[in-house]
Amino acid sequence: MTFTLASSLEEALDAVAAGATPIAGGTDLVVAARGGRTPLPESLVAIDRIPGLDTVTTHEGGLRLGATVSHATIASHPDIVRYFAGLADGSALVGSPATRNVGTIGGNVMNASPAMDTGAPLVVLGASVELASVAGTRVVTVDDLWTAPGVTSASSDELCTAVLLPAQPENSASAYVRLEYRRAMEIAVVGAATRVVLDGDGAVTSVDLALTAVAPTILRVTALDVAGSSIAAAADAAREAASMQATPISDIRASDSYRRHTVGIMAGRAVEAAAGRAAGEQISVPVNRAFGIGAPA
Amino acid sequence: MTESYTLTVNEVAYSIVADAQRSLLSVIRGEVGLTGTKEGCDDSECGACMVLVDGRPVNSCSYLAVQAQGRAITTIEGLASGDALHVLQRNMLEEGGVQCGFCTPGMIMSAHALLDQNPDATEEDIRLGLAGNLCRCTGYAGIMKAVVRTAREGLSTDS
Amino acid sequence: MLSVDISKFLRADGPDKVTGSGRYSADISLTGMAHAKFLYAGVASARITTLDTAAAKAIPGVFAVLTQADVPDIRFGSVADRYLFAKDVVRFEGEVVAAVAAVDADTAQRAVDAIVFEYDALPVVNDIEAALEPDAPLVHEDWESYSARRIVMDRNIASQTILTLGDADAALADADLVIEGRYIADASHAAPIEPRGVVAQWEGDKVTIWTSSQVPFQARDGVCETLELPTNRVRIIVPHLGGGFGGKCGFHYEAHIAALARAARRPVRLVFSRREEFLAPDRRREGMIVELTTGLRSDGTIAARKARILLDYGAYSSDATFFPHMAAMHALGPYKIDNVYAESSAVYTNRQPSGSVRAPTAPQACWALETHTDELAAAVGMDPVAFRRLNGVDTGASGVSGQVFDAIGLQECITLATEDVGYGDVLPGDEAIGVAIGWWPSFPGASGAYVKLDSDGKGVIVTGAQECGTGAVMTLPYLVANELGMQPEDFELVYQDTSAAPYDVGATGSQTLLNNGIATIEASYQIASRLREIAASMLEAEADDIVLENGHAHVDGSPDTAIPIARLARRANHTGMLIGKGARIAPPDPKTSISAIGDQGVSSFAGPQFSCHAVRVKLDRDTGVARVLAVSAAHDSGTIVNPIGAAGQVEGGVLMGIGQALTERTEYDDKGRQVNPALLDYKLQTFADAPPISVQFVEVFTPDMGPHGAKAIAEAPNVATAAAISNALGKLVGLPMRELPMTSERVWRAIQAVGS
Repeated sequence: MTFTLASSLEEALDAVAAGATPIAGGTDLVVAARGGRTPLPESLVAIDRIPGLDTVTTHEGGLRLGATVSHATIASHPDIVRYFAGLADGSALVGSPATRNVGTIGGNVMNASPAMDTGAPLVVLGASVELASVAGTRVVTVDDLWTAPGVTSASSDELCTAVLLPAQPENSASAYVRLEYRRAMEIAVVGAATRVVLDGDGAVTSVDLALTAVAPTILRVTALDVAGSSIAAAADAAREAASMQATPISDIRASDSYRRHTVGIMAGRAVEAAAGRAAGEQISVPVNRAFGIGAPA
Repeated sequence: MTESYTLTVNEVAYSIVADAQRSLLSVIRGEVGLTGTKEGCDDSECGACMVLVDGRPVNSCSYLAVQAQGRAITTIEGLASGDALHVLQRNMLEEGGVQCGFCTPGMIMSAHALLDQNPDATEEDIRLGLAGNLCRCTGYAGIMKAVVRTAREGLSTDS
Repeated sequence: MLSVDISKFLRADGPDKVTGSGRYSADISLTGMAHAKFLYAGVASARITTLDTAAAKAIPGVFAVLTQADVPDIRFGSVADRYLFAKDVVRFEGEVVAAVAAVDADTAQRAVDAIVFEYDALPVVNDIEAALEPDAPLVHEDWESYSARRIVMDRNIASQTILTLGDADAALADADLVIEGRYIADASHAAPIEPRGVVAQWEGDKVTIWTSSQVPFQARDGVCETLELPTNRVRIIVPHLGGGFGGKCGFHYEAHIAALARAARRPVRLVFSRREEFLAPDRRREGMIVELTTGLRSDGTIAARKARILLDYGAYSSDATFFPHMAAMHALGPYKIDNVYAESSAVYTNRQPSGSVRAPTAPQACWALETHTDELAAAVGMDPVAFRRLNGVDTGASGVSGQVFDAIGLQECITLATEDVGYGDVLPGDEAIGVAIGWWPSFPGASGAYVKLDSDGKGVIVTGAQECGTGAVMTLPYLVANELGMQPEDFELVYQDTSAAPYDVGATGSQTLLNNGIATIEASYQIASRLREIAASMLEAEADDIVLENGHAHVDGSPDTAIPIARLARRANHTGMLIGKGARIAPPDPKTSISAIGDQGVSSFAGPQFSCHAVRVKLDRDTGVARVLAVSAAHDSGTIVNPIGAAGQVEGGVLMGIGQALTERTEYDDKGRQVNPALLDYKLQTFADAPPISVQFVEVFTPDMGPHGAKAIAEAPNVATAAAISNALGKLVGLPMRELPMTSERVWRAIQAVGS
């Protein structure tokens, strides 16, 4: 196995062009290599030392998260918590404190797991990723990035260098809620993220909704027309649409029917939380813990 | 492929020659020769392998050793200075936070990182901050007492 | 109680453990050491057609490859139903087929992969009820040839116990109300945080084995039996043990590694991965089906109970032949019932063997019984706590086996736990309190220790006892210091070494302090007596008048003229030395009047411990996710010798019980293989899940049991928690829980069932 510790983006892109797999925190890659499940790639390039890749900057009215920004940073970054709270909700739930310290947003999106906690928030926030190669840089939306479990539309010589969060509409907010059997160290059984836009009177203008772990990729719920409805009605509609459009599997963690039911519950709660935030309520990150069972005793 | 690099563990530099795919845990336990850091699952699920990398808690089973070069690694053996126990170690001992002891080094490292970052940690902060460290013996009750007491006394108190 | 201050218990192994300097099995490294890997069956039931190790042996760096053909042809186990390595057939996926020792672990694994292992699949016995059908395939075709002393076997029934007291059928016929229930518990695991390690080294014809065992003497005896060695050529040393909970009881891989080391002509180390720890050892908490029929009188008293119990025994007998008997005792429960009948069978399956895990059979059987008990109370319109008060045993009462109880504290436990949890308080609509009672015996048995004082007045306790983390062995210096008027830190401990110390059964059955405490105190008496004689001669007094206190000896009433014990010890070296020995001799079991077919000796509960657990649970009705908000646990474990240690046992046992109640489950696929042998999907409770646990003890002095009137403690706290949670959920859902664990999905399904 060859290993390159990249000290610049150029060096990393050269290595990737030569066939190396990028590694940041290694939380997915190294764990997957255990027990011979998915052996480590023959060639690795570490990107965790590249200057500037771990910073959060403003970008076209929104934010640009360098690929090696950690979940811990996302969960506590004031601008993310304020304007992109759903993403902060997701990052705050990832693994353990250690995993959140080491795990990066770039690694998370390129791992393309349908159970990733940042996935659904990125979809509803309209996020894109910046893919760089020696040939240049392009931007693709996360909807277009994830094509199948563990598969992206990026080509093998491309490196994710940033996640781009666009400016959000006025009177809007987001939230991500997941089902968890324990209060920590969970992988999403199901989850739901929404972005809710309210009008000046507190009625709903629009709801974007995306679901975790109920389809081969993060699933964007379509045809959710709730303009003009109350928050409660929007939550009901989200609950129904989520359960209807989910195509979950049965496995050790849950049956398909339980997933189908609970993803609706998560969707409804996410709408309530996001709407609450949009209306100016202080709902702390992660919102999961504000809901009944996840709350402290 | 074998890589040659320097690891700084508990402020001592070690010249390492090891395959690049080796985890930080296996190099600490093997080449460096410090066995206080434990392997409980090799899967980032139990926290027994927790070390500090530049002061932050890291599951060393799931972190490549070669990626830790140039960073300051602290293991349980590097916590106390001199013969006296670190205050966190002493409190774990006195408050019934230790039974079989296998989770203890990782638990102490996580607790150190938590209190370092959040000296006024509440019980809820402690519960969530140490959730990545499984203990099967204590029901976490004695550990809670030890960490709460350490927060009260201060992490840098002499024990 | 003790004259030494144990309220600030400081465990002697603590500094090792908090600094990382303490060595566990996987930390042992010897010059020239090779590394072991096993080839496992990977299939639950098959006949071996090819097992060819030639290619594996040819790999450079491979020192030895062993199969059953390379070790003595000896069957072992409770009924001698297994070999060290699979012979002809494999009966569960984690069965060891071959073992490799090589220069490093990777090479050993490559050699394992190079072994040619081919087989014809056989039918898989994967369901304990189907296994009892007349045409079911047999897990052991030749079961009739096994040595089943006192054990009732029949085809796939590996061990059966039938208990009869009074006439249950007649009493049921006369009862005012008969309630039936069926309860199903899944298998689970002990899951200590340390995966086991074994290191073996031969020097001449003697082998030393360092191993993660809770029971070093049993491990030694297993090596001696399977490798045909006398005990004086096998030494077992247990380094620090990273938890056990029963999972490291018994004899496991010590002989495999000893045989490998002999063949490799160098030390060999085996370290398990977490996956192996789940799949391979003959230890898991068995799945169970419990069917209960209880007859009630209109006054709420219990007239009769019948129980039918099936236990998923797995492929081999391990130490589990007593499980059916023990499960029956727990399904009948700590109640006053004069007419009982229980038929309890352990059923062979092609799954990992079951074995003792903390309070074996009790959490599941107690969960079934106590869920049933809330149904009984509801049926007669009684409050469930009042129902337990009415029917639960008390001092002087006769229990389900006709055992008459001396002073016991069950009723007081009920009072303390329910008051502490706020039973009867008005709660939010999504919260409820559940209550359950449990019991568990103490196991008085053989155990030995030596104590010596050296010439500077410092001492060493050499004990056969095993410290698995509970602090039981670490309490011994306090007991000795208490007898000798010294301080615990005056003593060193030599323990977990079969060649150094006299026999002890090991850290199993919560018996360490119970038995070894007695042995160690007895050894201390002998030293105390010698010290008094020496002091008496120096002080010109009678030995009986000498008081040992504060490290000195003085004549009672004259503390000003005191001689340091160190001075007495120096003098003793020339007059016969200060060496004490103690051996626990178990008292006879309490009498019972029950008839037992397939009697495994547990109708009688010596030093019976009682508990009441009361839990406050919050339920998210939309998802079925439950959270335990608070636990109040009250225990009668006799006198509490070590308050910090005992509380730690209750706190840990309760949290393990919460895991068993809600999230811990081992699931099998249709081929008999575990689906979730990893900590991501075998979910232990995390720190974030742990509720406050309030612990109270009802200290009933219990004579002739443990030191200072103690009973045992370590397993009892694991018995009643899941049952209490079940009863809280039953209230919240409106239906009794019928499956364990009570996963979110199962609870949600119960909610749906009520709604529809």
